Amino acid sequence: MSYAYLFKYIIIGDTGVGKSCLLLQFTDKRFQPVHDLTIGVEFGARMITIDNKPIKLQIWDTAGQESFRSITRSYYRGAAGALLVYDITRRETFNHLASWLEDARQHANANMTIMLIGNKCDLAHRRAVSTEEGEQFAKEHGLIFMEASAKTAQNVEEAFINTAGTIYKKIQDGVFDVSNEASSYGIKVGYGGIPGPSGGRDGSSSQAGGCCS
Amino acid sequence: MKKMDLVSGYKGVVGLVFGNENSSSNDDSYVERLLDCISNGKLAEDRRNAMAELQSVVAESHTAQLALGAMGAYKLVRGAVETLVSALTPVTHAKSHKNEVQPASMNSDLLSRDEQNISLLLSLLSEDDFYVRYYTLQVLTALLANSPIRLQEAILTIPRGITRLVDMLMDREVIRNEALLLLTYLTREAEEIQKILVFEGAFEKIFSIIKEEGGSEGGVVVQDCLELLNNLLRNNASNQVLLRETIGFDSLISILKLRGSTYSFTQQKTINLLCVLETIRLLLNGGSEADPAKDVERLTNKTVLVQRKVLDHLLMLGVESQWAPVAVRCGAFRCIGDLIVGHRQNLDNLASKFLGDEPQVEPALNSILRIILRTSSIQEFIAADYVFKSFCEENTDGQKILASTLIPQPFSMTHAPLEEDVNMSFGSVVLQTSCRAASVLSYVLKDNIQSKEKALQIELESPMPSFGSPEPLLHHLVKCLALASSKKGKDGKPNTPNSYVQPIILKLLVTWLSDCPSAVHSFLASRPHLTYLVELVSNGDATVCVRGLAAMLLGECVIFNKAIESGKDAFSVVDAISQKVGLASFFLRLDEMQKSFIFSSPKPAQCHKPLTRSNTDIRAEMEDIEEEDAYEHKNEDHPMLASMFDSQFVNFIKNLKIGIRDGIVKIYSHPKSNVSVMPAELEQRKDEADVDYIKRLKSFLEKQCSEIQDLVNRNATLAEDVANTGGGGSSQTEPRPNGGSERVQIETLRRDLQETSQRIEMLRREKSNIESEASSYKTLCAKTESDLKSLSDAYNSVEEANHRWENEVKALKNGDIEAIKAEAKEEAEKESEAELGDLLVCLGQEQSKVEKLSGRLMELGEDVDGLLQGIGDDGGAPEEDEDDI
Ligand SMILES: Nc1nc2c(ncn2[C@@H]2O[C@H](COP(=O)(O)OP(=O)(O)OP(=O)(O)O)[C@@H](O)[C@H]2O)c(=O)[nH]1
Ligand SMILES: [Mg+2]
Repeated sequence: MSYAYLFKYIIIGDTGVGKSCLLLQFTDKRFQPVHDLTIGVEFGARMITIDNKPIKLQIWDTAGQESFRSITRSYYRGAAGALLVYDITRRETFNHLASWLEDARQHANANMTIMLIGNKCDLAHRRAVSTEEGEQFAKEHGLIFMEASAKTAQNVEEAFINTAGTIYKKIQDGVFDVSNEASSYGIKVGYGGIPGPSGGRDGSSSQAGGCCS
Repeated sequence: MKKMDLVSGYKGVVGLVFGNENSSSNDDSYVERLLDCISNGKLAEDRRNAMAELQSVVAESHTAQLALGAMGAYKLVRGAVETLVSALTPVTHAKSHKNEVQPASMNSDLLSRDEQNISLLLSLLSEDDFYVRYYTLQVLTALLANSPIRLQEAILTIPRGITRLVDMLMDREVIRNEALLLLTYLTREAEEIQKILVFEGAFEKIFSIIKEEGGSEGGVVVQDCLELLNNLLRNNASNQVLLRETIGFDSLISILKLRGSTYSFTQQKTINLLCVLETIRLLLNGGSEADPAKDVERLTNKTVLVQRKVLDHLLMLGVESQWAPVAVRCGAFRCIGDLIVGHRQNLDNLASKFLGDEPQVEPALNSILRIILRTSSIQEFIAADYVFKSFCEENTDGQKILASTLIPQPFSMTHAPLEEDVNMSFGSVVLQTSCRAASVLSYVLKDNIQSKEKALQIELESPMPSFGSPEPLLHHLVKCLALASSKKGKDGKPNTPNSYVQPIILKLLVTWLSDCPSAVHSFLASRPHLTYLVELVSNGDATVCVRGLAAMLLGECVIFNKAIESGKDAFSVVDAISQKVGLASFFLRLDEMQKSFIFSSPKPAQCHKPLTRSNTDIRAEMEDIEEEDAYEHKNEDHPMLASMFDSQFVNFIKNLKIGIRDGIVKIYSHPKSNVSVMPAELEQRKDEADVDYIKRLKSFLEKQCSEIQDLVNRNATLAEDVANTGGGGSSQTEPRPNGGSERVQIETLRRDLQETSQRIEMLRREKSNIESEASSYKTLCAKTESDLKSLSDAYNSVEEANHRWENEVKALKNGDIEAIKAEAKEEAEKESEAELGDLLVCLGQEQSKVEKLSGRLMELGEDVDGLLQGIGDDGGAPEEDEDDI
């Protein structure tokens, strides 16, 4: 149970894009072909290593349906990372990204790391959003981007681990005041985690723009 | 100028003070006046207007804002929130009437209706003023108590609302304690709120508070923390996974650990421990019923809990600690049961646990068994019994291991009188221990044919030499059963400890005989068993359960009976049931039992009331435990049976009943066929002699006849039953015992009687025929007699005439005419000679007639000689006379 850091993630995006499947593939290495509508939120956890440090990921998979929005918003603020998912075979899920981002900006902490994922890349023949479009959107909004498949597991590990890597780097760079306010950023320092340089609030807020703009 | 209008509009305090243009120097005093009016205004309307005015002034004017701050707006807010608390708390000293409007709940309803209000209240939690935060929490708690659902919904829609509340857990102690209560209310049956709380780090905060407060040794705050913890975990798989995967069970399990003064268990410590045991139980229960992964989660929780050594701590609490209160020990046992049931490794783990210090180590299961046999608390017996039940469930190997230890020796150990129970008689101690051992044994035998067979071979040395030779365990149990009922009767007063002895022994027997023909055989091997059982079923003094279970047992003797010897086969048992009990009332017993509260009440596993803060509840629960020992109802089943007869047993009984019904119907619809004969066999065989053929047919007919008689008997019994159920139908109309067969017997007797009287009639007719014949012979005889008499008269007169003639002839001889005389004489002699000859012939004929008649009369028993005597007197004389001549 000992870890150097604990990161809280959320997974957001339209219903049916494959959020629950991505989590299941990451935690259980399984694929679930039937769509079990998520009600509210579901929890999953896994240990990874970055830079030889054990890092615990706590992941909340949220319901994409509009009616759960007020519940799922409660999870934004305390998360260190977010996986924003769309479905490359359904254009409208890509079109909704802007409104998801807006929601995140409004409710999440400014330092939240966001990974944009174009899911279901195994269904190349039904593709409705090109890889370039995805890349372009990510670049414009300062997000990390990846296409993945919860079905074939392609890039699933990478998506979660790269996000953690980015957060870890932010800690190393002293973006967060992990010794004091870490928990409000969705980060916990465990045994073996190095408290970042004591920069205080000013330091972190000055860097805030750099992450998400 | 809005302000001016407003103020001049009302002739209140405010209006009188301000007449001038708005200026920055005036703002200060204006604000001050408004504040004063708000707090001291006489009329509610004035205060409300002052409040509205203050609001607009502060919104419009920079100086007013400064003024408000300087004058301590927090005082205002504090006052307002404090007032709200009062408005939402029912007035305790004034007892209100039932149908009176509850102002407190009405107010809270009004307040929580608008989400804005809740939002405002939550924002007050960020105020620096302690009292504002404190009273705000109280307002929210009061609102939650009165309209929980509405408030839960409102809080979910407020961004960061729950985050603020969870942050309160890190506030000063007083605030923290208020927040704990508030969150406990908030999380009750609200899954999404529970999850958000956990997302916000509630687990870590709860555990750190518990640690700070001293774990189980801590005060009521620890209890509050545990109650909140339980709310977060109850039926919530997501939160259980989070606890298990990222925080771990260690901090939880360490609360169970007894440290320091293990001999002192204050009431608060007891309650704290009960709360942690409840937490463990919730984890063992898994997520919500609807969750498809529930079973997997449950198993994983069990695995991890045992890996983290929870079993050791539970055994410490349940078995090893001598000072743990009964309630805690029971809780620990229930957890152990839940922990092992259906979990291979945990079962093995428990089976291999040893307790005690070096010279006196013993298997943990043994220690638990001893508690079962010896405890004076029914509650503890039930809880420890649950461990064995869980151990044996779907654990054939475990059952086998336990069955292999079944040797008479430990049983005699159980007969040792117990020091704690000095006020119980030896007999009831034996019964008590037998009954409890029976309960454990029923788990060992359940659905396990090998264990059943093994147990059948056990012979018990009798505890006292006077009891006689060793007897099979099965028979010993029946003896205990009978002993338990006789005990009850003799004492006069209700013999309470034994009121559950019979049902539990019966439960064992019913479990044992199920699907086990050899057990049925052994049971029926002793004839009185069947008789006793039949009596028990119809014994009006026995409880519903006892009669019902006895009926079940009888039913098993039918459907699991493979015997063929008459008197012990299924047919004999059915006959015994139908004749001595009546089928209808037999089935009624089964129904009654299923309808009784023991069987229909929800089972403990399904209804578990969580421990709550209010001390009264807990005290009540503790009293419950004591009270049950003092249970006093003579003819009702002991309430503890409701937990002993768990849902599996209830199900088992339900299916068994169906089996018994089918089995008995089958016996009636496919009667035994002694005389099953193929039609072809009824034909005469090729080289079969007629005589043999007839003989064969005859014996066939005889067998069939007796079978028909059996069937008629059974049929009559059935008809009797039907008639009894049809008419009245109430349980009071007991079927007349033996009704059916008696009727058949009467029928046979009547037929016999008729036959006999017919024969008598025939004899009587024959007799009268003979009588009339005899009388006609008699008259015939009399006639012959008189004929004979007249003949002899005639003979006499002829004789006389003859004599006269002779004399005349003599006289004539003396005369002249000698020749004429001789001639005449000759002529006369001729004449009389012929006449005599006729007469002799006639006489001979009569004589032979008389002889014949005499013979016949003699045959008929008449006194012939007597009859003839009279005749001789008359008839003899002339003959003699004749001889004289
Ligand atoms: N071919 C393919 N199908 C996928 C992939 N990921 C998800 N799916 C399918 O898409 C459907 C929806 O997946 P979910 O993961 O349940 O969707 P979700 O985003 O969790 O939906 P909500 O819970 O309603 O928000 C399911 O039928 C999945 O089998 C993928 O990578 N490839
Ligand atoms: Mg989902």
